[in-house]
Amino acid sequence: MNTEIHTNTSYQIEHLTFCKYVLRTPSKTISLSFPQMLELRRKINELTSYSSLNRIIDNENFVLLFVADKQHLIFLEIPQLLQLKEEIALIFHTPDTILV
Amino acid sequence: MNTIVRKQMSIHPDVMDLLNNQIAMEMKASASYLAMASWCDQRELLNSKALFYKQAEEEREHAMKIFEFINDNGGAAISPNVTNVNNDFESLISIYETALEQEISVTQSIFKIFKAARKADDYITEVFLQWFITEQAEEEDTFRSILDIFGLMEGMPLKMIDERIPTE
Repeated sequence: MNTEIHTNTSYQIEHLTFCKYVLRTPSKTISLSFPQMLELRRKINELTSYSSLNRIIDNENFVLLFVADKQHLIFLEIPQLLQLKEEIALIFHTPDTILV
Repeated sequence: MNTIVRKQMSIHPDVMDLLNNQIAMEMKASASYLAMASWCDQRELLNSKALFYKQAEEEREHAMKIFEFINDNGGAAISPNVTNVNNDFESLISIYETALEQEISVTQSIFKIFKAARKADDYITEVFLQWFITEQAEEEDTFRSILDIFGLMEGMPLKMIDERIPTE
């Protein structure tokens, strides 16, 4: 079974310091402050709603997205859009309390 | 909430999304009351006009309360789009019926956020929303009482009914 991960097309978000995040795209690394992260989360959540995804698929099949206060423009196809949504969800995920 | 995001925000991100929807709802309600005020103003229904202008301001104040609450707690408040405001009404009573329905849906929406906040252990939002729940009960009562006046004064001229409508 081929378990190779294609990292060249992947999008990753890392938390660096208290208020600094980094979005790694295949072509560039973008620094994000927390308010910029919140804005990215809002845009991605909006773009990945059922109706919005259908609209994208029925039309151009990609999105161009401004990030970090319009300092960067990123190109996302549907799989990348969904991957980014998961990455952001992970950052904002709240684990259930573990009772010891 | 996990520690990374918790240090930046005191409220839960999913609850913040619901609060942003609530801002949009309150602003839409404000615009809707403005349309109702205009309808009454054009027909010299002075008490109703005053009541709806006041309601429009109050709804905006509610939206602003939530707006500032989100930003004060580290979130991102979103200034909403307000579209599809109805300016077309058939009668004064239908305006008051619409107003009551609108208030009920706002109350239901606040209950939904309250439940979500409780589920996410977001006590800050839960306590913040308690004021809104009391306020909504008062708003619903205002419109219900006015609709009672319509029932009690059935058949009377519209201007006389309007004069009985409380403006405070």
